[in-house]
Amino acid sequence: MYFKKISVLKIESINDEYFMLRIRDKELTKNIKPGQFFQVKDPNAAFPLLPRPFSVYEVENDRLSFLIKIVGESTKNLSFLEEDHFIQLLGPLGNGFPLVQNKKVLLASGGIGYAPMPYLEQILIEAGNEVMFYHGGRSSNDVFCDDVQNCTEDGSCGYAGLVTEHIEKCFDSMDIDIVYACGPEAMLKVLIGICAERNIPVYVSLERVMACGVGACCGCVIKIKENDSIVYKKVCKDGPVFDGAKVVWDE
Amino acid sequence: MNKCEITFGKMKWKNPVTVASGTFGFEYAELFDLSHLGALTTKTITPESKAGNEPQRIVETEAGLLNSIGLQNPGVDEFIKTDLQEYRKFDTNLIVSVSASSINKFVSLLKKLDAQNGIDAYEINVSCPNVENEGIAFGTDTEIVFDLTKKLRAVTDKTLIIKLSPNVTSIMDIAKHAEIAGADGLALINTLYGMAIDVEIRKPKLHNIIGGYSGPAIKPVALQNVYKVAQAVHIPILAMGGISSVNDALEFIIAGATAVAVGTYNFVNPLGTLEIIEGIQEYCRSHNISYKNLIGSIQT
Repeated sequence: MYFKKISVLKIESINDEYFMLRIRDKELTKNIKPGQFFQVKDPNAAFPLLPRPFSVYEVENDRLSFLIKIVGESTKNLSFLEEDHFIQLLGPLGNGFPLVQNKKVLLASGGIGYAPMPYLEQILIEAGNEVMFYHGGRSSNDVFCDDVQNCTEDGSCGYAGLVTEHIEKCFDSMDIDIVYACGPEAMLKVLIGICAERNIPVYVSLERVMACGVGACCGCVIKIKENDSIVYKKVCKDGPVFDGAKVVWDE
Repeated sequence: MNKCEITFGKMKWKNPVTVASGTFGFEYAELFDLSHLGALTTKTITPESKAGNEPQRIVETEAGLLNSIGLQNPGVDEFIKTDLQEYRKFDTNLIVSVSASSINKFVSLLKKLDAQNGIDAYEINVSCPNVENEGIAFGTDTEIVFDLTKKLRAVTDKTLIIKLSPNVTSIMDIAKHAEIAGADGLALINTLYGMAIDVEIRKPKLHNIIGGYSGPAIKPVALQNVYKVAQAVHIPILAMGGISSVNDALEFIIAGATAVAVGTYNFVNPLGTLEIIEGIQEYCRSHNISYKNLIGSIQT
């Protein structure tokens, strides 16, 4: 874990909802596991007060990229930053996805849940896995790459319908050993259900409002089944990746 | 060089900066040597483990943070076995924050901790707004604060710090009662009561509806509390409440604080404590004033 103030290499607008934040740093890019995240903030901005957690999208030598959706003040302000403007980063944080070798793997993402997937896909392929990649969004605005199985609710790109419907079809036609997912809770709940029916392990990357990002404040907890009881686990430190079968969703 | 060393109760601090309970952990040792701090303050420990409150536990507001953590902690026995051993590795003072639901439980908790090596002080958390029947229920009653402090004083020779709530009619009264009962120092302020509502669904943003409010927004409130208490007591004050810069820290010291604690700002800048330590030392140098003379040097 490092805490550094470094300059923005590039901000690339993807469309009116998404942008890519790229930085360059030798230390920060060392030993990042897929599914880990950084706490990012413009140190010159008094408001919003806290940094925001962003999954690692891409690591390429000393270059680190984040795919970010504009959802509020922090993300909007970051999208306007000029090159060479300093930002602060704390990380890499969290557990990351548990990796496998030589398996048939399915990646499932929805919307901005796409962010941690390309780096995960790269590492899984390097480890000899066969990787299927399904991504869903509301419209073509939420689609980031043509090389994956895209599904849109309005049918504007790829398959029409929910990504989970197409994943179910995929399950019927081939044996998948393990599923990795990130996306809206409604999608993850359905996915965990269809994986459970088929006894396929599924790991999900979750998001919660965070303060410290390192496990100190206990602000970002979720409920997890452990043995015969339900315990609070910190999304920032014990997660953000959890065994989907053990997640107890908030009411 | 003026290192701004201080005496706080029975402790010698290498500098006057610590962290506020619940905002810091040895996780940050990956970023810097925690021995650089004047003291470390633990998250509040209770006699039994506490799961903490239902989420949502935190909400960011315009210039602060609402929390309703609910003193999540592993309980004193587990703390002694695990966290305490980690904290002891650092070459600085260790302040263990404690809370309990009755005076008797406070007493036996302190006895248990006092049998351990490596603890320099206790911060008696009688001011947490997020737990029922403990915390703030004690800290708002002058007689209970007096009685509790007196009984704890009989149990330990270590530095006893009472952490005060701003959510009271007269913080000075409570401060004076703690002092008379034998407290070595006071920590103030704990969080203010606060809440936030999601107008789209017309529901409170915190599951517990009301939480504790911290961060830059509460600094002026904390500062006037520290100023008032400094006029009322002779024991040292550990000041906290929105400290986010060297200037903030200096304001509290000039108002009468012997030491300061950084809380919410650790989440914004985990190295903020180090910057504040250096800044205070630099201020004393450039203004040619000893740290001792800076404390309470406000001109009114």
